[in-house]
Amino acid sequence: MDSSSKQLQSPQSMNMQSRLLAHAPFLVACSMLVVIVAIYGSLQTGVFTIDEINLNTAAAMTLMLAATGQTIVLLRGGIDLSIGGMISLGTVIAATRFGEEPANILLWSAIILAIGFGIGALTGLLISVLRLQPFLVTLAGWSILNGIALMILPTDGGKVPEWWIGSGYLEFLGLGTPVWILLALIVFWCWFRATRLCTIIKATGSSEKSAFLSGVSITRINIITYGLSGFFAALASLYLTTQIGGGSPNIGTDYILPSVAAAIIGGVSLFGGRGHLFGTIVGAYILTLIGNLVFVLRVSSYWQPVMSGVILLLAVLASSYAEQKARKRGS
Amino acid sequence: MDIVQVKGLTKRFGGIVALDGADFSARLGEVHALLGENGAGKSTFIQILSGALTHDGGDILVDGQDYRPVNPDEALGRGIAAVFQELSLVPDLSVEQNIWFRREPRTWLRTVDVAQMRQQTLELFERYHFPSIATTREVRNLTLAERQIVEVAKGLAKDPRILILDEATSALPASEATWLLSLARQLADEGRLVIFISHRMGEVRAIADRVSVFRNGSTVATHDAAAVSDDQIVTEMIGRQLARLYPERVDTATDRVALQVRDFSSPPMLNGVNFDLREGEVLGVGGLQGHGQREMFQSLFGADKALGSITLWGKPVRFDTPRQALSGSEGIALVPEDRRGQGLLLSKSVRENLALPVIRRFSHFGLLDQRKETELVRETMKSLSIKADTPEQIAGTLSGGNQQKVIFGKMLMTQARVLLLYDPTRGVDVGTKGEIFQLMRQLASEGYAILFYSSDLPELVNVADRVMVLRSGRVARMLEGDDITEEEILRAAVFDSEAA
Amino acid sequence: MNTFLSRNRLIILAYIGMLLLVLITAFFSPGFLSASNLRSTFILASFVGIVALGQTFVIIGGGIDLSIPWVLNSAAVLMTLLCAGQDLPLIWVVPLLLAGGGLIGLLNGAGVALLGVPPIIMTLAANVILQGLILVFTGGTPTPAAPDMIKFLSVGRISGIPVIALIWTALTVLAWLLLSKSAFGRHLYAVGTNVTVARYSGVPATRTTILTYVISGMTAALGGILLTGYSGVAYLGMGDSYLFTTVAAVAIGGAPILGGSGHYIGTVAGALVLTILTGLLPALNLSSGALLVVYGAVILLTVSIGSETFSEMWASASNRRKRIKEGTENG
Repeated sequence: MDSSSKQLQSPQSMNMQSRLLAHAPFLVACSMLVVIVAIYGSLQTGVFTIDEINLNTAAAMTLMLAATGQTIVLLRGGIDLSIGGMISLGTVIAATRFGEEPANILLWSAIILAIGFGIGALTGLLISVLRLQPFLVTLAGWSILNGIALMILPTDGGKVPEWWIGSGYLEFLGLGTPVWILLALIVFWCWFRATRLCTIIKATGSSEKSAFLSGVSITRINIITYGLSGFFAALASLYLTTQIGGGSPNIGTDYILPSVAAAIIGGVSLFGGRGHLFGTIVGAYILTLIGNLVFVLRVSSYWQPVMSGVILLLAVLASSYAEQKARKRGS
Repeated sequence: MDIVQVKGLTKRFGGIVALDGADFSARLGEVHALLGENGAGKSTFIQILSGALTHDGGDILVDGQDYRPVNPDEALGRGIAAVFQELSLVPDLSVEQNIWFRREPRTWLRTVDVAQMRQQTLELFERYHFPSIATTREVRNLTLAERQIVEVAKGLAKDPRILILDEATSALPASEATWLLSLARQLADEGRLVIFISHRMGEVRAIADRVSVFRNGSTVATHDAAAVSDDQIVTEMIGRQLARLYPERVDTATDRVALQVRDFSSPPMLNGVNFDLREGEVLGVGGLQGHGQREMFQSLFGADKALGSITLWGKPVRFDTPRQALSGSEGIALVPEDRRGQGLLLSKSVRENLALPVIRRFSHFGLLDQRKETELVRETMKSLSIKADTPEQIAGTLSGGNQQKVIFGKMLMTQARVLLLYDPTRGVDVGTKGEIFQLMRQLASEGYAILFYSSDLPELVNVADRVMVLRSGRVARMLEGDDITEEEILRAAVFDSEAA
Repeated sequence: MNTFLSRNRLIILAYIGMLLLVLITAFFSPGFLSASNLRSTFILASFVGIVALGQTFVIIGGGIDLSIPWVLNSAAVLMTLLCAGQDLPLIWVVPLLLAGGGLIGLLNGAGVALLGVPPIIMTLAANVILQGLILVFTGGTPTPAAPDMIKFLSVGRISGIPVIALIWTALTVLAWLLLSKSAFGRHLYAVGTNVTVARYSGVPATRTTILTYVISGMTAALGGILLTGYSGVAYLGMGDSYLFTTVAAVAIGGAPILGGSGHYIGTVAGALVLTILTGLLPALNLSSGALLVVYGAVILLTVSIGSETFSEMWASASNRRKRIKEGTENG
């Protein structure tokens, strides 16, 4: 009897350790980023300037936005491959409908965002009602959206006005548009993670059955999470048009798996329930900076995918190791 | 007036009748115990009450008004909350997040007011004298007992008029179980209704005002706890089948040791177990839950790792995987704890399930001899009287008892003659229970050696030749002959044997 | 017989769908049923079918193989480089490359089954790492033409029948024997259904899982070698479309993405459906975008038909039929 009541009181030190372990995947990602930045900084001058931050954030921003939606879906325990189609579709709609009129552009921006949310919500509804696997449904969704994008604009083309492109390169207090978007994302997440909704999304990802038993409507959560994923993909497409200056019907495909990879590297669990956007942001920076690293190391740029693959594996192995450790402690 | 009135409640799952005209009534201010065997319909009943299931027929009145919740929220709207045994906690959320899940206090920004939530948690803990648990720990890192306590807190946080406790004490160590009992009493004294399910007669005696007995999907009777004897309740629970349930115990054990286990340990749960299991013997394993029984069975079967030595039919062996334990003529087979998660491929046919462990035996030059396979499968189905239309019937559509027989059949198709049975009658109907005990005796007489764990004391007392009681991962006592009684098993499980 | 129909209804539906598609295509483009057109359809379907063989095994086992594109591409590139247009080196090059594909599969399988890395992540990482390595190795330059022997295997005929169709048929028979008539098949379905139950039943689960990835690596390598014969050269990116088409073929063939059931016989129909669709759309004057839309719709349709919701409707309908039958017999 003595031993059993001792079990109930956990010493504070163990609590501390298990909390560290719980954050291990994120900490691993952060240290990888530090190492990459350190190598980059030691081989290249001017790395630690605001210009460089603006530049790299601009390069990473589309991926960050796409991965934000992916993070939300992953937290819920799902996956969204359709964002590739949505990004392509967003750019071609923008490139063919924007024109020059600011009011028109705002209207179409809103429409693109609404399409993103609406199609995502539809996906979520389909997954719930027919009890389908998100992998295949969103794969089909990717194909359909990509197809529609190709029907609207068969090849790269169309255009967006100069001032729209310029809005991607504005500077305020020395910080460029992408950095402000990043700050907005961080503020958004600080708020979102503290809401009931985020708790419910994580709970559903952690254990759908427990969430259901606690009264959560799984259908509603699916509609919201996939809807948000579509919304952020649409947002990513709008940002992307400032970078490429037009529409590109296949470009979104390049963001599907990297968006998952960025989240996983940042410590988001593929099985749902664990992780946060800060990890994903770090992951997106890592994937982007590898490109710079390859450049300053003066090796073939073809090493970039090799490095990202290795980093992805390392991140997953590190987090599964930490989890095993934590589980041993828990039992 | 009674706050809950239930008349003629029915519920079916496919072909299985879970509730068959159950009646029930209870009033505020009492602790009302539900008793009944596994599968008697208690858990279906409370799932309906709490909105996790909807009933097929019959009426429920709460406050005299029709009550038919389609989800737990609706039940809560009428003041009913349940603390389930299968935990509703989310592993990746903290203790306090779980307790206030979906009902967290919020700030003007619509975010969760963490300080307020913590304050509320501490107040709740203090008011009901909860054992101390750090409120920020993630539930995934808690022990089973701690989770159970958080589950209780989650139920209480909803401030229900009617609180259902489903075997809430079963996972708790003695001191916490005592706390929970006094908590139930306190809640009733506050004017709430506590519906309390427990298999421990002593607990029911300690706190219940009234007792309702379930059997075969309906209520047999409701008594004032003070006015009814244990014997009467047991008779009502079991019905008239008692006499035929257990086969006659014939001593078929020989002197030959089938399984010798020495210094078997896997800390912290298993701390040096020693015993001999003889040919033709049914050796019972008892003790409170969580004292190493599961780990011992798993490790003997090679599904978990453990230190120590195992000698099988005189030869030292070492199993790192179940495959090694099952293969060869001198193996060990396990009928596992979790029928659905460990025992059966629910979506596959009876044939595929039965033949799975020995499928390679039907392989000639890489190709399966399916005629021979079907023949042997049919033979096994017949000898175990598995009630399935054809060998092609999907295992998941069988009744619980027949599913369990398929698992037995799987293991009997291997050549292992040491059988580990982990709670083989859990969730099995009474008729099949009798058949399983019969089968165990028959196998023993054929020279099988059987290690038999049961969470049900009467089963151990009536079926096993000897009973070893585990406590803190050690053999606390080995009971033989007339010493095998429920009292002795309990005493050995709870107290130091030398001291007692 | 009845259980045969109900258990294989998704595969049967896939074939019915394929036949309908053939009829529709023949109606819109009368030339479709000509010998030469059927031949070329079969040749194209063979590549998808052969590569999807491994994907089928992996998916039945509860995994997924995203490394197929660059295993295929690597095999193709290395084959042309090592043979340099000569037939003779094929004697050792083909076995070597098949073994190489198997080795990649072995690593994938070991990561999944031994280290517990989620299949999506493990094979995704393998894919990008291989992509990088082969790019580094070739420096992005084009490679020599395919040897004549490979061209013969891909597009040649023996008494009017395409050689590759014979290869595909042989592989189909082999896959059928493995899945339906061997102990390995039983183990595989058991592992895909519930790996714990399989393990507790004495199934060598780890070995079985690893083997599926080995098979997938080998069929991807074989597909790459043969595809080179069809296109005449190996080029970078030639495998990219095979990720989508193999998963789509398996899905259309009725295998659930969660594993445990399905059959290669279904995948064969899936490969044919995808290929016939490619042939149908030019006849209808539809663009490549429309093809993607149709692909997505077909996948969505088949996974919906295979969904739990539909299965339950099917089961309750057949129960009702049974009850009605019994009722009339009793009454």
